Amino acid sequence: MALSRRFLPFVLPLALLILWQAGVSTLQPGPRTPTPGSVVSTAWSLISTGQLPLAMILSLGRVLTGFVSAAVCAILIGFLMAVSPSIGRNLDPLMESFRPIAPIALLPLAILWFGTGTSAAAFIVGYAAFFPILINTIQGVRSIDPSLPRAARTLGVGLPAIIRNVILPGALPNIFVGARLGLGLAWSSIIAAELAVGAKTGDAGSGGIGQMMFVFYAYSVDLSGIIVCMIAVGVVALVIDRGLRAVEKRLLPWKQ
Amino acid sequence: METVAIPTKAKISLIAITKQYITPRTGQTTLAVSDVSLNIQQGEFLCIVGPSGCGKSTILSMIAGLTKPSSGTISMDGNAIHGPGRERGVVFQDYALFPWKTVRENIEFGPRFRDRAPLSTAARRELVDHYIELVSLNGSEDKYPHELSGGMRQRCAFARALANEPDVLLMDEPFAALDAQTRLILQEELLRIWGEELPRDKRKTVVFITHGIDEAVFLADRVAVMSNHPGQIKMEKPIGLPRPRNEGVRLTTDFQKLVDEIWQLIRHDAYEATIGKAGIKQA
Ligand SMILES: Nc1ncnc2c1ncn2[C@@H]1O[C@H](COP(=O)(O)OP(=O)(O)OP(=O)(O)O)[C@@H](O)[C@H]1O
Ligand SMILES: [Mg+2]
Repeated sequence: MALSRRFLPFVLPLALLILWQAGVSTLQPGPRTPTPGSVVSTAWSLISTGQLPLAMILSLGRVLTGFVSAAVCAILIGFLMAVSPSIGRNLDPLMESFRPIAPIALLPLAILWFGTGTSAAAFIVGYAAFFPILINTIQGVRSIDPSLPRAARTLGVGLPAIIRNVILPGALPNIFVGARLGLGLAWSSIIAAELAVGAKTGDAGSGGIGQMMFVFYAYSVDLSGIIVCMIAVGVVALVIDRGLRAVEKRLLPWKQ
Repeated sequence: METVAIPTKAKISLIAITKQYITPRTGQTTLAVSDVSLNIQQGEFLCIVGPSGCGKSTILSMIAGLTKPSSGTISMDGNAIHGPGRERGVVFQDYALFPWKTVRENIEFGPRFRDRAPLSTAARRELVDHYIELVSLNGSEDKYPHELSGGMRQRCAFARALANEPDVLLMDEPFAALDAQTRLILQEELLRIWGEELPRDKRKTVVFITHGIDEAVFLADRVAVMSNHPGQIKMEKPIGLPRPRNEGVRLTTDFQKLVDEIWQLIRHDAYEATIGKAGIKQA
């Protein structure tokens, strides 16, 4: 019983694999019909030569840079907007009109401003992560029971200490929701940004996993390679989300 | 903001307090408290009773410094009150415990984070241990508020206010959410912690709001009875029952007489507040 439950999550992926293999075997073999076998061997060579880990580290670095700067800005601005009604009212239209613009739509600007390297990608990523964190921070601060800061005031506690010990922990669960959403968006937009940058520069010179995919697509026409990249991106996304959840558990012990 | 020294012996003194609320949406004004004057002595246990909506919480909030009166002055030890302060601790009806802090962290919140004279870790530890012991929360120090029963939350909120060592304790229906048995137990416990046996100048000054007339009579040195529309103090009734008080007091005729007298005074208002004026005429 316990054993079968442990294997339960693997049933669907396994079935898909079998279906894939069966489907492919009816077709002509070639670079456009990747088989599970060819994907595994491509994956092995990409990993053992260090190409895939290197590209992944580069992309991750960009995501982290963009995400951290976005988080710092979004939390700060979100706090100000939630605490001060006048700041909130003034910034709200600006934020709401930028929000529907897809991160990738900023790519032309980013490339013209920052070139085709890390800073352009980090800019796109930061933009993508910014809004979910901002909106959830505002929501988090506004949802704090007003009797809590009031109680702190009656204990003779001043505003800076109230912000640190009442408002911040009170908003933290929502900030985490925003961070998880933001990180997911950041990770998906890095691929798009790097793909597009790859298309512009026409080579894999500047590294990341998206550019690697572009090279497989435009030059070596290797679908197995692209699939390896896709799987790697998915696995990393999963690991990141689980990591963030673990941090959340550490920081929000009262939520369990 | 001028600080007027008001010459009075009272610990807390309210002079001609009026509070008018204006609802921003409709512009409608509500006269919550009208021309209330009240002196509270050092070490006195004052209970305020009155029908729902007569302005009890408003008065307490103004003494706490969380709400500004529309007119009139409130002073403590002769100094006008301009905002909340450590010397006036509050126990809120909904407890307002910090959900992300354990019992211990909640209780040490004031001594740790207050602006004036925060305590060192060691001094805090000793103090908090003392209050945890006092409200019998030993063994639950590391629980979060949502892991406590209603009565334990109440005691934690009480200890949090006490641990900050205020001179005055303001309590807004602190036992309202509890079941009848727990309430009776906590009433006696409150008197013990307040220091019934201590001389007056060593006791804390308490303002305690309640709906329960028998609760007020059991606890108080004096009961202020309020009436509705507008919120005013109708009568101040000294409670001369001997201290220390215990369960037995409730059975005495003196106790019953006091409860009945206060009930007769507010029953009309209470009916009006709950079933409306039409209901009274029909009855
Ligand atoms: N923030 C506010 N804005 C507008 N009106 C208010 C506000 N707070 C209280 N009031 C009004 O003031 C009056 C007195 O309210 P208050 O809360 O002081 O009553 P109370 O005696 O504590 O009632 P209860 O026993 O039900 O707690 C009520 O009519 C209420 O509607
Ligand atoms: Mg009230």
